[in-house]
Amino acid sequence: MDRSYKELLKLRRFPHTWCPGCGIGAVLKNVAMAIKELGWNDKNTVAVSGIGCSGRMSGYMNLDAVHTPHGRALTSAETIKTIRPDLNVIVLSGDGDLASIGGNHLLHTSRRNPNIAVFCNDNEIYGLTGGQAGPTTPKGAKTITSPRGEPNSPLRLGHLLTQQAPYFYARTTVYHLNHFKGCIREALLWKGFSFVDIISDCIELNGRRLGFKTAHQMFKWFDERFHIVEGERDHLRDDELGIARASEEEVIPSAERVEKKPEIPMESLKPFTLEELQRFDGTAGKPIYIAYKGKVYDLSSSPLFQGEKRMRCHIAGKDLTKDIDGAPHGEDLVFKFPVVGRLA
Amino acid sequence: MKRLVSGNEAIFQGAVRAGASYFAGYPISPTSEILQQAVLYSEENPGFQFLQAEDEIAAAIATISASLAGAKSFAATSGPGFSLMQEALGWGHVVEAPCVFVNSMRVGPSTGMPTQPAQSDLLQIKAGSAGDYYPIAFYPNSVKECFLLTATAFNAAEESLSPTILLADAFLSHLYEIVDLEDIATEVIPRSKEPLGRGQRLFTGTVHDKMGNLKTNDSEIYRGWLWELKGRHHRAAEKYPLFEYLPRKDSETLLIAFGIASRIISSLKDRFSIFRPIRIYPVLEKELNEVTRSYRHIIVVEGNDGQYASWVECAICRKVMRVPCLGGGFKLKWIQSQIEECLRGTTR
Repeated sequence: MDRSYKELLKLRRFPHTWCPGCGIGAVLKNVAMAIKELGWNDKNTVAVSGIGCSGRMSGYMNLDAVHTPHGRALTSAETIKTIRPDLNVIVLSGDGDLASIGGNHLLHTSRRNPNIAVFCNDNEIYGLTGGQAGPTTPKGAKTITSPRGEPNSPLRLGHLLTQQAPYFYARTTVYHLNHFKGCIREALLWKGFSFVDIISDCIELNGRRLGFKTAHQMFKWFDERFHIVEGERDHLRDDELGIARASEEEVIPSAERVEKKPEIPMESLKPFTLEELQRFDGTAGKPIYIAYKGKVYDLSSSPLFQGEKRMRCHIAGKDLTKDIDGAPHGEDLVFKFPVVGRLA
Repeated sequence: MKRLVSGNEAIFQGAVRAGASYFAGYPISPTSEILQQAVLYSEENPGFQFLQAEDEIAAAIATISASLAGAKSFAATSGPGFSLMQEALGWGHVVEAPCVFVNSMRVGPSTGMPTQPAQSDLLQIKAGSAGDYYPIAFYPNSVKECFLLTATAFNAAEESLSPTILLADAFLSHLYEIVDLEDIATEVIPRSKEPLGRGQRLFTGTVHDKMGNLKTNDSEIYRGWLWELKGRHHRAAEKYPLFEYLPRKDSETLLIAFGIASRIISSLKDRFSIFRPIRIYPVLEKELNEVTRSYRHIIVVEGNDGQYASWVECAICRKVMRVPCLGGGFKLKWIQSQIEECLRGTTR
């Protein structure tokens, strides 16, 4: 087995702070292996994390690491990527950090779609503070803040994140090792915001209260709860492990996909004088024409002009170039109407 | 070229002069124009980047992260937004990220009177975040000074390796004056901190030793770390003992005012001596002691209920009189009558 990934771990700081049986170690190790495999190193990679047991991961990596206040890892990572596009930025954090206190940043950072990879150690509990119910705690689970069972449904990250513009959402568990490794690799290679929801175990502060004796029993429970789905998916159901990502078309920024209408040569258009134009003001069943930047447009189909001579401050049958440039809406409102001529 | 420049624009241009290449903000009156300036400037200068964040928490975190990544960065907000930024301000002191926070004050608490100026966030710059920290804060009173002190704040940030604060108020942000920004000379201290991607360092808000190992149970290490931080900040602050003193020989009364209040009472300089601290924090203890010694009455005129006055009292170990201009009411006539009342013996 290739052990060169250990170069990426701060072994001098071991033994680490995590309990025996915890899933975070597996996350750290496999992320380190994937980074090593891709040839990334401390000169081109930065790890960012928040607070919590999983927030300690960045500190155990032999990389420049940023350990942010609670919940702010995503904003920090996004900014670092903005300033230094040459760096690979990964986020190693937990569900409480990313989805609860950092929930607003999760929504907006994923919306802005920076090229960062997020690894969320989703153990469905606040482990470091002693086992309080978290945003992803399943309904009915007993924790120290929900002794009669968690009354609320968990936050469904898979549904939340696949609503955003070009998304990459993968769900995997620390038990399904090969699948887990594949997801990490795909996420690191994805150009844009990628989120890997790694279902992990917290045996000491969650599992034992749920009735599990060992971490292995929790892994078996993951195996019962989830099954792997193969192939390209655009959404994952709550019991599925796999990768849901936006299709090719959605990945291309929308600005580049705007269809350009073919330009009509000005000479071939029918010339209008301002007097002629004035006659087409919508009265007595005549069409509504206006001029904008030298071209005459037919606005008869506009619901706002229908049956009226004017729409607010825009008067039919006039050259409206100045009006529209000064209007709060853009000129694209005019461009969707057919061109019928040009100003002589 | 001489032209009309607003306080907000001067702050932005001052930051650009100091080498800033990143701005993060969230729309808030009265500093929205700084965000607007950043957008316009970045369109012409691709090297300059900005983030209109989802909230001030993100804006402040982005500012500090940009600083760690190697850019000179700043954020601008007003009182309510500054409250949200406190978390990042504390973090910035521990991870040693030089950057500048602009706080243009308006009447608080909470939403308060959003369009009215105030000077009521003085305690917030020092004590808003958890724990002990020692920010350096400057407070201009003219458009030219807005430009100059923003650049100074960036320099002080580089020297103290921490966020510094530029205070302003809603008046000053929207004050237009004729200045020639190109004509103002500034000193620019380059980045001293190594950017990210140069090693295996850990930038953490948790107390750590020099090697980056977290030390959460060792009060010895914490003490050493805090004294070093305090020393570094005071050494940096000592380079900028900025104040303005207009003595009047036959006056027994010293007025202390800063920011817009000092502009308004400047017409009283024929009757009273006036002292204007420009470095608001750390408090100018030595200078205040020297200046106040020869006066019988000391009156602090400020847009809050005695925040700076209490600092002055601590610094000079003497009671001072207060004229609090509350709710955006900086009327010269009213201030004058209050000063007369103070001098007649009805102290407050």
